[in-house]
Amino acid sequence: MSVETVPSIPERLKTGIISGLQTSGRMIRIVLPLYIAVDLLKGTEAVNLLGRLFAPAMKLFGLPGEAAFAFVAAFLLNLYAALAVMAPLDLTPWQVTQCGLMMGIAHNLLVEGGVLGSTGAPAWKLTLGRVIIAVAAGLLLNGVRLLSGG
Amino acid sequence: MEAFIAASIEALKLSFKLLLIIVPLVAIFEVLRYMPIFRRAGSAVEPLMRGMGLSREAAVPLFTGIFLGIAYGAGIIIRVARENRLSKKELFLIGLFLATCHAVIEDTLIFVAVGGDGWVMLGVRLVLAVAFTGLLARIWRKAKSREKGL
Repeated sequence: MSVETVPSIPERLKTGIISGLQTSGRMIRIVLPLYIAVDLLKGTEAVNLLGRLFAPAMKLFGLPGEAAFAFVAAFLLNLYAALAVMAPLDLTPWQVTQCGLMMGIAHNLLVEGGVLGSTGAPAWKLTLGRVIIAVAAGLLLNGVRLLSGG
Repeated sequence: MEAFIAASIEALKLSFKLLLIIVPLVAIFEVLRYMPIFRRAGSAVEPLMRGMGLSREAAVPLFTGIFLGIAYGAGIIIRVARENRLSKKELFLIGLFLATCHAVIEDTLIFVAVGGDGWVMLGVRLVLAVAFTGLLARIWRKAKSREKGL
């Protein structure tokens, strides 16, 4: 056993609360403005434009073009917003699983990118990685569907 | 202007929520981290972690993020990273894993609620996160040993 001085419990609690406050402070400085920006983006023409732009790409995943709007909502906003867009699309359970997997991997990219950045890791590389992994996962599930003749 | 105020209020609510969760979480982490059981749990997952190029210091931020989400995981990552117990590469690997795979319970249930297959979503996400993180760690390790060989 290595000998390590263990501070008393009240001392640890104090250290914990102070560093908790510092940590939340660092995160809030980044998350607060990003959240406002994302909230203002909601329902703007920019979001519609992005949806139309990505509609053709949905074919690659065996999804209807309208699903692009759900992906834009998931990437820029959050899963609840994406769900609201997805609900009227009448997707099959497999398509829901596929969307859920892809969006589970890549969602809320702006705010979460900021959070990841606040740890000191390179945020844009990680965010790009997320999108690539989400695309790979989507293609994989579509491949499984095609192979199983669904 | 009204939209801006509404967005700011929501952003403040989110910040308050972060504060409310991160401060106790970091405080509890600080109190518990000297306990032997914490270290034993760390040893149990060590082989898998090592396969992904991660040291046992990374276990707590990793598991916090997997279950509670990226913001809370980041709170602990910042805490651990500031004590310089994580290298830059390790920070990136944890970030990559968590970016792909976090808040798995909540994210999965959202889509199960609309008919998705939870096991497929959860399973594929976990496997992809382990695979990509492990792959990157391998590539880096190879590059490093090649450097040494020169």
